[in-house]
Amino acid sequence: MDMGAVVDNDVLDEVVRMLVDVIGEDFLLDVEVGRGTTFNEDLAMESIEFVALAERLQQVYQGRVDFAAFVAGLDLDEIMTMRVGDLVAHIESRLTASAA
Amino acid sequence: MAEVTTRGVRFHVQTMPASSGDSGAPIVVFVHGLVMDNLSSFYYTLAGPVAAAGAESVLYDLRGHGRSQRPPSGYGAADAVADLFGILDALGHHRPVFLVSNSFGGVVALNAALARPSRIAGLVLIESYGPAERTGEWTEDMLNTLSKSALILEYERLADQLSAIGWRQPARQAVTCDALINGTTLLDDLAAVEPIRPADLADVTCPVLAVYGEHSDVLDAGRLLARHVPGCTLYVLAGHAHTVLREGTGELLDVLLGWLSEHAGINAPMKAGV
Repeated sequence: MDMGAVVDNDVLDEVVRMLVDVIGEDFLLDVEVGRGTTFNEDLAMESIEFVALAERLQQVYQGRVDFAAFVAGLDLDEIMTMRVGDLVAHIESRLTASAA
Repeated sequence: MAEVTTRGVRFHVQTMPASSGDSGAPIVVFVHGLVMDNLSSFYYTLAGPVAAAGAESVLYDLRGHGRSQRPPSGYGAADAVADLFGILDALGHHRPVFLVSNSFGGVVALNAALARPSRIAGLVLIESYGPAERTGEWTEDMLNTLSKSALILEYERLADQLSAIGWRQPARQAVTCDALINGTTLLDDLAAVEPIRPADLADVTCPVLAVYGEHSDVLDAGRLLARHVPGCTLYVLAGHAHTVLREGTGELLDVLLGWLSEHAGINAPMKAGV
């Protein structure tokens, strides 16, 4: 796999695809998801949906990004106040590290 | 995958493998509370540390809750117990398991232990409903609260109101509650659930840890457990009410891991640095 391509531009798109899958397209119709979007305020995401998102992330980035460790280091309030960009940046940094 | 279909219902299931990687590791199954609750209340609190200590954590959303399917009926205790064993069978877990319940989850856990004692190795009942001296006693407050919620959701169009003032997250939760409370037989099924009386509690053969808040309105259930279940340890969290799982997580975790290390053989917790 070309790790560079993934790191360069696809992580945000992949995360947005997962969010649509988890939250539902109807609900996301009026929200433009970008790096500045908050899970809590903008997406009105519920904690159970973050569980589902974490599972999808684990499947796609298995072995390259340890989400269990990432989530274990945060409490639920911290997770919910994160922005999409925080998560994307974490994934990108781990992908870069594992590609190096 | 995180879905198991059993008894015609699709359930959302999450598992966290034991850190030891041991296929014979003890299995700990988490059973959450009603309506607003789902597996995430355990996912972010107890399940991770339990897996890290050497047990396999299994979490599922009760029917109609979280991301599980919401069939129109089947919300009583017998169906909940059958759902639980159906999920365990589908996962291939035929060994005795430990159940950790919160609030209404205790009704499921206690009934499961009484219905199929050979499959339950132990119970941890957190702020759990279920034990009571007489019919209707334990469900009265809960049903009153849920019935009031049902009226507000239906007649005051709570979800629309919340949405209109920009409270999108509560609005979404209100939609879910409305569908469960007003769109299924949940309330009727709960009203028909019999309490577990002292004579039945005496038949619980597995070890039990009961954890309740000092100021909880469910503490009487904990006292009944301590008095009538032969192998029960009651731990009362000072200063807490019903929200022990969310607000007393650290102390609860210490008690839980200590008890599991004694009864399930997982690693004793390291308290330093917590």
